[in-house]
Amino acid sequence: MNPAKTLCRPLARRVAGLDKLTQVPGGRPDIPQNVIQAAVDALARGETHYTDRPGIPEFRQWVADDLGRRYGISIDPKEVTITCGSTEARYVTMTLLAQPATWVLCLGDPASIRGALHLVGAQPADSMAAGRITVLYLRPDDERAALAALLRPAERENWWIVWDMSLATARPDFHPAQNEKLAARVVTIDSLSHCMAGWRVGWMAGSEAALRLRARKQAITICTTSVSQWAGLELLRSGE
Amino acid sequence: MMTALNPNIPAAVREVAADGTQLRYRLMEMAAAMDNIITLGRGDPDLPTPAHIVAAASQAMREQRTGLSPVKGLPELRNAIADHLRRENGLPVGRGNVMVTTGGQEGLFLAVQAVIDPGDEILVPDPRYSSYDDAIQRAGGKMVMVPTNREDAFNLEAEDVEAAITPATKALLIVTPSNPTAGIVTEDRLRRIAEVVIRRNLIVIVDEIYGKIVYDPWQHFSIGSLSGMAERTITLDAFSKAYAMTGWRCGYAAAAENVIEAMARIKQVTTGPVATVSQWAGLAAITGPQNCVEEYRQIYTERRHILLEGLDRMGFAYGEPRGGLFVWADSSSTGIHAAELSYLLLKEAGVLIFPGTAFGEKWREYVRITLLEPIEVLKEAVERMMPVVTRYRR
Repeated sequence: MNPAKTLCRPLARRVAGLDKLTQVPGGRPDIPQNVIQAAVDALARGETHYTDRPGIPEFRQWVADDLGRRYGISIDPKEVTITCGSTEARYVTMTLLAQPATWVLCLGDPASIRGALHLVGAQPADSMAAGRITVLYLRPDDERAALAALLRPAERENWWIVWDMSLATARPDFHPAQNEKLAARVVTIDSLSHCMAGWRVGWMAGSEAALRLRARKQAITICTTSVSQWAGLELLRSGE
Repeated sequence: MMTALNPNIPAAVREVAADGTQLRYRLMEMAAAMDNIITLGRGDPDLPTPAHIVAAASQAMREQRTGLSPVKGLPELRNAIADHLRRENGLPVGRGNVMVTTGGQEGLFLAVQAVIDPGDEILVPDPRYSSYDDAIQRAGGKMVMVPTNREDAFNLEAEDVEAAITPATKALLIVTPSNPTAGIVTEDRLRRIAEVVIRRNLIVIVDEIYGKIVYDPWQHFSIGSLSGMAERTITLDAFSKAYAMTGWRCGYAAAAENVIEAMARIKQVTTGPVATVSQWAGLAAITGPQNCVEEYRQIYTERRHILLEGLDRMGFAYGEPRGGLFVWADSSSTGIHAAELSYLLLKEAGVLIFPGTAFGEKWREYVRITLLEPIEVLKEAVERMMPVVTRYRR
């Protein structure tokens, strides 16, 4: 028998709307030695099993503490889920919070969420006039005045806010969850992709949807790679 | 009459009793908050990842070979997987037919997203691994149950598959060896099932994650190796169980090239590539010495013997567990609903097992027990369970 090129039945219709693969160069990142050693040590002590479904407790604690320290927002570590990079965090939040046939308001290029929205059946919008908005997707590099102007309708219309810090060129001095009226509906996304992309570590934190977000992640990948979490935790703790 | 759920069991269990996945996680959370618990619930091998695999991963990290992988996976690993599937499973595959996934569960998610449209029906043997429900529901698919039973050791019958087919049926899901039943779909049955799915033009999604853990005299067989099946079979596997690598999150899928391309496009926008270090570990697993797999299989064989003896003493019946890491036991002799029985065994015996209702609504008189503790611990678990079962037997 020869290898098969084509399935006997048509693919699902959703596949046709997805972008072609973007091949990425592997490269050799310069991961600090203390991070490598932490990963090697984790393997040596047998950290090769499933971790807690939402991620190792120390990592979740670090994320909660960091958000509290930097922005004064209160997040329980139980509301933090470690993900397979920011890609999974974006997909999980969009698939849970955006509803089919609704719009996700996004300032600037929506490339980072377009594929996820396509799978959900939602669409990116660049203005409130597009239709029924369910989610406001914001990034720290968005133009600040335009971003601030959207927070009031977000509060009024009860939109979810996804605050994606993983794409920031610099750490922001502002967080939408600092507004107490918005906080329960703000999901923070961040990742270590800028320095250790191949390890696939990101997270989503906060909001009253946190437990449902964690359940949805679990349904896809169960948990995030254990050794990657230990390496990422060392990177964060050492401030590299 | 079916055993009813006792309304007096705690709300924490009762409120999630109808959701298999959440029920399992709720019991695990309760167990995590207790001391001195023997956990025979989650399918996470207690054995270590073999040393040569850990060494290969450590070396890759030290050499900084951890850059982002292509979405389909490292070429070295895809080649090795294709070689392995050709040699060991008889699948006619090349690198273009293979991709690496973030564990077996993601493989199922990607496969379903790639081939199931809203309204499509997918045939699922009952009982089922309910963690797959979410992926099917998310794609808009409708699960249609195909019966299996203890008397047949939960083997799957072609006639039952065919009886469940409607004009909306697009795919058949097979998990062999099965989670939760530990039954296997034998070669003779798979050949007859293949005749049906070819004649009715269906896709087969087959999860073979326990395929290397099959007990004598039974043997694993891959339906994708049969003539006419290559263009209609999506084979899923992972390193998690056979090599005790659950935490690495590394699995793979094999299918027609256009399916792999579709799954990779979905993966690109849902989870991205698999962690590179896990792929180096997977490469070491699949190309390195395989005696670890046989060694672990022998360990599970001995544990299975001990656990079955204990179940006999408790008066639990079971279909012969032919593969995998579980025993699927009929607890009807207790007269207690499986969710309540699991709760009682956790609370009073300190033993975590999963109720059958976590794997299908009608399995109120079955429990799933893993083999994933050492023999002495399994013996202790049986000794702890025995008086609780005796005390509450109705």
